[in-house]
Amino acid sequence: METPEPSEVLSAERPADTSRRPQRDYPGALIVVEGIDGSGKSTQLYLLRRWLEVGGYRTHFTEWNSSPLVKSATRRGKRRRLLTPTTFSLLHAADFADRCERQILPLLHGGYLVLADRYIYTAFARDVARGCSPRWLRNLYRFAPIPNITFYFRAPLDVAVNRILASRPKLKYYEAGVDLGLSLDRAESFRIFQGKILDEYDKMVHTDNFVLMDGTMPVNQLQRQMRTMVAERVELGQFGPKKQAEPADE
Amino acid sequence: MTPGDTPPAGVAGADRQEGALRFYGTELPGVSAGELSGTLIVIEGTDGSGRSTQIELLTEWLEAEGFAVQTMGLRRSFLVAKDIDALLAANTVTRLTLTLMYATDFYDQLEHRILPALRSGMVVLADRYFYTPVARAAVRGIHRDYLLGIYSMALRPDLTFWLNVRPELAFEREFRKSHAISYWEAGRDMSLSNDLFQSFIRYQSAIRKEFETLSKRHGFLEIDGEASIPAVNRELRKRIAAHLGIKSTRYAPSPALARYWR
Repeated sequence: METPEPSEVLSAERPADTSRRPQRDYPGALIVVEGIDGSGKSTQLYLLRRWLEVGGYRTHFTEWNSSPLVKSATRRGKRRRLLTPTTFSLLHAADFADRCERQILPLLHGGYLVLADRYIYTAFARDVARGCSPRWLRNLYRFAPIPNITFYFRAPLDVAVNRILASRPKLKYYEAGVDLGLSLDRAESFRIFQGKILDEYDKMVHTDNFVLMDGTMPVNQLQRQMRTMVAERVELGQFGPKKQAEPADE
Repeated sequence: MTPGDTPPAGVAGADRQEGALRFYGTELPGVSAGELSGTLIVIEGTDGSGRSTQIELLTEWLEAEGFAVQTMGLRRSFLVAKDIDALLAANTVTRLTLTLMYATDFYDQLEHRILPALRSGMVVLADRYFYTPVARAAVRGIHRDYLLGIYSMALRPDLTFWLNVRPELAFEREFRKSHAISYWEAGRDMSLSNDLFQSFIRYQSAIRKEFETLSKRHGFLEIDGEASIPAVNRELRKRIAAHLGIKSTRYAPSPALARYWR
């Protein structure tokens, strides 16, 4: 059997990397936002994206759970309430693998700045809260490239939960974690479930080098912090318009 | 035990009876292997190895002996079977996505069909298990440890039979059955050869090599799949009867299945 070209090798093709040092064999960069629902992460990533796009940088935006690949299966599973923690997790992994192999990795190899609204840490937090084994999950997502920066937006549980409850008339069965039998009341179940997810996120601040962002700060201040950090940690000149090294300061 | 823990070998099964079913590694969330009183029997082998025929015959024999039988196989889950069929038909899917869809298909059947059957003491006949998707992904360059990690919450079968046939004979049988060789059976996605026959032989040889490795690692019972249907069936019945404590292995197929005996 022929061996694939080194540049095509995913780490799912190698023994597990125990050094935890990210190995990047591509010119692109990956910036990720994570946090529980209502933590403000999507707003912040949107603003960062606008800033980069206006500056003429080669960027691509990707979202967790957005491909049509597993949509019908997820719908089928949710409607009949057939999804277990394991199959729920595997379906999301299949969906992510598709995006990873067909979008994220080719773009990173092509020298793009890839912005991801949620990434594998969403699966780690949510699926562990559902009862999956952390070790099993870490292996499952071994093929995913390690981000250059992971911004973790942290808001107190009550603040985040109230933001969601205020804007959504009805919480869905799996979204509220009703399948876990935490509480018969959906809002209460949602609160407990999000609390568990928050705990899992907190555990990853150190193990996965999260950049902690205070989700209670004003939007524009947070955005300024975020832009500064990106300019510091990513060689923006590589992605930019020909001459200009950095986008104009606000 | 909390789902996150992986027990050291030999410790987890301490409170279980000898010979009871066990998980490979981690237990599935919410399942204890100790409550499973049924028997899990796996028949593996490539296309054209005679698996499906043997499963039909074994089902009839076991039912005649008074055992309730449940079956499983690849792409038979309610959750994703149709989606996998669609992905295969479009053949734009990447190997990793396909691997994970097969894993979803496997666990959906395990949790909704196999575990309930094993809890109520049935005999489960698996027309292939996770070994086939593992072999297919491994020949496409995905690491074995990664694959076995995904299936670490699978149950260790009581018996795994491997119907071993040469790719040339498998080709002959498959061609006689459907007068064509499919894209995936021939491993066309791997660009092995533009000649369909060559592609099939190279692909199935690589799969067979992978099975040799799996066979050693997982203790398969290798059976000569090139022998006649009654001879293979006799061998299978002998082993299964010994495992289930069935005294006599006398069996002749009903008129519905008699064609296999001719």
